[in-house]
Amino acid sequence: MKSVWNKILRIDLSNGSCKAEHVPDEVYENFLGGAGMNAYILWKESPRGTTSFNPANRLTFAPGPMQGLKQSGAAKWTAGAISPAFHLNADSAATASFGIEIKEAGYDAVVVQGRAENPVYVVVEDDRAEIKDAGRLWGQDAYVAEDGIKEIEGDKFECVTIGQAGERGVRYANIQTRKKSFVGRCGLGAVMGSKLLKGIAVRGSQTITVHDPAEIDRLNKQINKRLADLDREQPEWLQMKRVGTAAATELFAPQGNLPIKNYRLADFPKGIQTHHASNYVKELNARPWPCQYCVLQCHNHCEVKEGPYSYTGKGPEYESFAMMGFNTMVDDIKAVAYACELANLYSMDTISLGVVIAWAMECYEKKVLTKTDTYGLDLTWGNTEAMVELVRKIGTRADGLGYLLGEGTKIASEIIGKGSGDWAVQMKGQEIAAHNWRAQYISALNYCTGVASGPNHERGNSQHIWVCHVKLPEWGIDDVRHEDRWSWENAADRNAKFHDYCNIINSSCHCKFMVFRGYTLTDLCNTINAATGLGWSMEDLRRCGDRITQLQKLLNIRYGWKKEHDFAYPKRFMEPVQEGPAAGKIPVGLEDAIMDYYSVRGWDESGIPTEAKLKEVGLQGYID
Amino acid sequence: MKVSINCSEYEFHKEPKFSEIVEFVFEMKKDDPMIRKMREKAGIKHILFVLNGRVVQPDQYDSLKIQEGDDIRFVLPFAGG
Repeated sequence: MKSVWNKILRIDLSNGSCKAEHVPDEVYENFLGGAGMNAYILWKESPRGTTSFNPANRLTFAPGPMQGLKQSGAAKWTAGAISPAFHLNADSAATASFGIEIKEAGYDAVVVQGRAENPVYVVVEDDRAEIKDAGRLWGQDAYVAEDGIKEIEGDKFECVTIGQAGERGVRYANIQTRKKSFVGRCGLGAVMGSKLLKGIAVRGSQTITVHDPAEIDRLNKQINKRLADLDREQPEWLQMKRVGTAAATELFAPQGNLPIKNYRLADFPKGIQTHHASNYVKELNARPWPCQYCVLQCHNHCEVKEGPYSYTGKGPEYESFAMMGFNTMVDDIKAVAYACELANLYSMDTISLGVVIAWAMECYEKKVLTKTDTYGLDLTWGNTEAMVELVRKIGTRADGLGYLLGEGTKIASEIIGKGSGDWAVQMKGQEIAAHNWRAQYISALNYCTGVASGPNHERGNSQHIWVCHVKLPEWGIDDVRHEDRWSWENAADRNAKFHDYCNIINSSCHCKFMVFRGYTLTDLCNTINAATGLGWSMEDLRRCGDRITQLQKLLNIRYGWKKEHDFAYPKRFMEPVQEGPAAGKIPVGLEDAIMDYYSVRGWDESGIPTEAKLKEVGLQGYID
Repeated sequence: MKVSINCSEYEFHKEPKFSEIVEFVFEMKKDDPMIRKMREKAGIKHILFVLNGRVVQPDQYDSLKIQEGDDIRFVLPFAGG
């Protein structure tokens, strides 16, 4: 198979060894790379009983066969491990150029195992791999760590690093790269911290061989032009190039999709006004900050020159705005951007962080937490200063409330008690993202049934068929606007397709955002075939996605998943809002929809893949 | 065997009971004014432990065994706990 090296780099931090290992074609034909490779490595190497912070947990950084192709969106890469938030298989994708450098260094993955005696970082340059002392970087934020590593190794290295939150085991700690992109959700930054690994620097000089270079060149030109043209056709304030995903607040507010006041309200007029996309460029001085080869350029670099929230750096994405702004009722756009960047420095996921802070605010409102517990902070809804200060306390794991909130809302509510679990908007230990199940019931089904990375809006983005009219016509999902978004009809089938679609995207390692501007499954399949020579049909593509989903399910069973976990959704799922387009809507019938999903998926009534299903996707030998 | 307690690594004999870890933590933190005060006011059961992401109840301390690489955290209670 082309476009892979048949080689991974194994870093064992316990014994200080770094060595390359051969991987047979069969693994790529089954699982492609990226998220599929992460799952395969866990299946092969982390047996039942392995826990997230155990040295036996494998932390895998994997690009896929798309890296190095110079196609818009082909800069993604993934990291995977057992999550410290929900204790199951997890993976997350980031961008910038770290994955491309792994590929150009001659590897399809870097697998980290063990635990170092003292803080270290790893440097990889083609065949050279070394473990180096990171003592002077430990305790520093993630950006200082990246600068420190580049100061020693050189600017041409691409780095991943963690900040204090990763070092101190915050269960939703991120891994950052290039000060702009983040391995978010699922807490892989804490896994990295548990291994005393502060960062990895990679640089490569090799060019991968693809199956049909002329076809890749043709596809790149045609696809890149189409995506750029379609973006230009959007209104200025909805162009990805100008405001990135932050524009989504304008699309989602009238649909009832925003999370407001810990998911209790349907409207926040002042927030909608101040966080409007047109303010994004004006107030934050946002400029495009594109990833390599990308024509959409959704990342932004911001500069706030004056005031208490002045900063220069990453501009917040939609999820960050929604959670840190709308969900906490903070209407100061500069403060939200600043707090998000603060979270980035400490390396924390802003989705979980926004839910955690909103949960604490609701505890404060209900007098479950008082000023005695909150360092004297007034956690009233919308208190900008308190929100920012709480980010600092959690990021540094300050004794007391900051430490508790770093455990996430599940553990925090179990420890505090007093009914606070009723407003912990989490499932399986991971906080729910900024796609409101009341706006489209399929989101609730996705959160309950996703196996790739806990309840996750980007590992089964079926909400996008409603909230931004994404289609997968090649797999039978067309424009659904004429249908009832509060119906379970076709939900199980569509949800399954999006789970498999996400696994294909995250295993070939392409960017899902391209689909917002017209990237199709045909584009993806054609590119995979031209790169690898696999010669896949649409059915083959689906089968691969299905296979990866089933493997992730087997991993989850291995690590302790039980059927009841899929049904233990947040109590707030069944609490309606009183106004707006989703007024009165709650996903009644969710339990039956979960059972429908099991059936569509080829799982038995206990949610376990049947032997016939595993045989169908070629996984009959993978059961523990 | 090695286990992690609040992100620092400690060495124990093979498969200690969870109650031994609890005692170890209290001994290690005996001079911590907050923990001392908490023990005096409310007793040790009000200092809560989390094992591999799951809250451990005091009545489980004697039955739970620890394994190599386990992650243990102790959290001071809030709001009455």
